[in-house]
Amino acid sequence: MENVIEIKNLTKSYGKNRGVIDVNLNVKEGDIFGFLGPNGAGKSTTIRSMLGFLKFSEGSIRILGMDSVKDHEKILSEVGYMPSEAWFYNTMKVSDVIRYAADVRGIDCSEEAAKICEKLKVGTDKRIKELSLGNRKKVSIVCAMQHKPKLFIFDEPTSGLDPLVQKHFFELINEYVEKGATCLLSTHVLSEVNKYCKTAAIMREGRLTMLDSPKIDDETFLSFYEDEEEK
Amino acid sequence: MRHILAKELKLNLKSFLIWSLSVGLLGLACILLYQSMQGEMKEMADAFSNMGAFSDAFGMSTLSIATLKGYFATEVGTVHGLGGGMFAAILAIGMLSKEEEGHSGEFLFSLPVSRTKVIIAKGLCVAIYLVLFTLVCGILYVSGFAYLGEEIPAAQLATFMGRQMLMNFEVAGICFAISSLSWKNRMGAGIALAMLFYFYDVIGRVVPDLKDYLFVGPYSYVNAAEIFTDADTPVKAIILGISVTVCGVVFAFYYYNKRDLAG
Repeated sequence: MENVIEIKNLTKSYGKNRGVIDVNLNVKEGDIFGFLGPNGAGKSTTIRSMLGFLKFSEGSIRILGMDSVKDHEKILSEVGYMPSEAWFYNTMKVSDVIRYAADVRGIDCSEEAAKICEKLKVGTDKRIKELSLGNRKKVSIVCAMQHKPKLFIFDEPTSGLDPLVQKHFFELINEYVEKGATCLLSTHVLSEVNKYCKTAAIMREGRLTMLDSPKIDDETFLSFYEDEEEK
Repeated sequence: MRHILAKELKLNLKSFLIWSLSVGLLGLACILLYQSMQGEMKEMADAFSNMGAFSDAFGMSTLSIATLKGYFATEVGTVHGLGGGMFAAILAIGMLSKEEEGHSGEFLFSLPVSRTKVIIAKGLCVAIYLVLFTLVCGILYVSGFAYLGEEIPAAQLATFMGRQMLMNFEVAGICFAISSLSWKNRMGAGIALAMLFYFYDVIGRVVPDLKDYLFVGPYSYVNAAEIFTDADTPVKAIILGISVTVCGVVFAFYYYNKRDLAG
C-alpha cells in the first residue's frame, strides 16, 4: 500500500519556541491513524504544516505523492479538513457555507452534502452565528466530507458533538475509508482510538513516537499526558 | 477565485451601502441647503476669505463660498474627503486580518485556493467598492447640482472625484499592507490613520514651514479649492500616491504569502 502522508524530518519553530522537532511519519492508504498527545505537544503544528497554514523551516511533507509546498492547491482539492474549532463567516447561512465550500472546489457536491446533512441532522437554514459549537462542528464535517476526499484530517472532531452524532460521524468515516479514503484523527478520546484507529502515534514535546498498537489501556493512555518530569 | 470575490462583495455590501449613502446623501444635503443659505453666504464669504492661513487652508481665500462651486469645494470636499478616507481604511484594514481574527482562515485556507488568489479576490473587492463608492457619491452630487438648476462644473467635478478615488486607493493600499501584517482587525487604527492624513494636510496648509512637505500626505492632491480653481496638477503628490498604493499592495502579497497563519 502507498503512503498517503509522508513526513520527513519536519522541524517547525515559532521564533525561540519549540513547535515540532524532527518529525517522521508515514500513513498508509486506507488507514485510520490516531494522532495522540497532550495540548501543545505539536499535533496541530504538524497538521497545519501539512495544510500549508504554517511555513516550516526544515524537512519535507508529501501528501498523496505530491509536495505539500509546490502542489499545495492540488493537495487541498483531495483533502477534507476539519479544524478543532469550527468557525465560518458569522452572517452566512449554513446552506451558503456548504455551497460556498463546494463552489470554491469547483464541483457540485449537493447530493453528497444532502446525504451527510440528513445523517447528521444539520439544519441548513440558520445563520452560523446562531449555531452552538456542536452544530458548527457538524457543518464543518459536511464541508470536509461533501467532496469525497482521498484524505481526511480531523483535529479533535468529536468535542462538542452528542453521542449519536459521534456514532454517525464514525460510520461516515468508515464508509469513506472502505471506499479507499485515508483518515488522520487527532484526538484526546481513548475509546475513539481503541475502537476506530488502525495505527497510532503519540506526540510529546514536539517529538513523535509510533505506537506498537492503537489498542491501549487507560493507564498507558493517561501516562502519555503526564509531564516528562513527573515520569 | 470568483467565488471568494463574490462572497467578499456580499459580506461587505452592508458596510458599502452605509458609507456610500451616508457620505453621498450628506454631500447632497449640503448642496441642497445652498439655496437657503445663499443670502447669508455673501457676508460669511467676505469674513472667511480674510482669515489668513485658516482661509488658505480651507481654500476660502481663492474660492468664494458664496458660489455653489466654492460652497461645494469647502463643504462637500471636506465631507467626501474624510468619509471616503475612513471608508477606504475600514474596508481594507480588515480585509485579510479578519480571517484570522474570526478564525475563518482555517476554513478558507483548507479549500484548494492559493493565498495569492485569496489576496487578489480580496484586493479586487476593495477596488470594486472604492470605485462604486465614488460613483454613488458622484451621482448624488450631480443630482444636487441638477436639482438646483445650477451649471455642473463637469471637468472639475470629474477631476475632484477621480483624485478622491485615487486618495481612497492610497489609504486602502496602506491599510491592506497593515492587514497582511496583523492577526487582528485594526479598524480603530485604520480610522486613526485616515484622520491623521487629513489633519496632516490641514495643518500643512496652515503652517508655512510644512508646505514643502504637503505632497507626502494623500490629501494633498485632493484639495477641492485647488481643483475648482484650476490650480496646477500636483504631479509629484499624485505619482507618490500611486507609488504608495502599488507598494502597499505588493507588500501585502509578499508578506501574506510567506507568513504563518494563526489558528
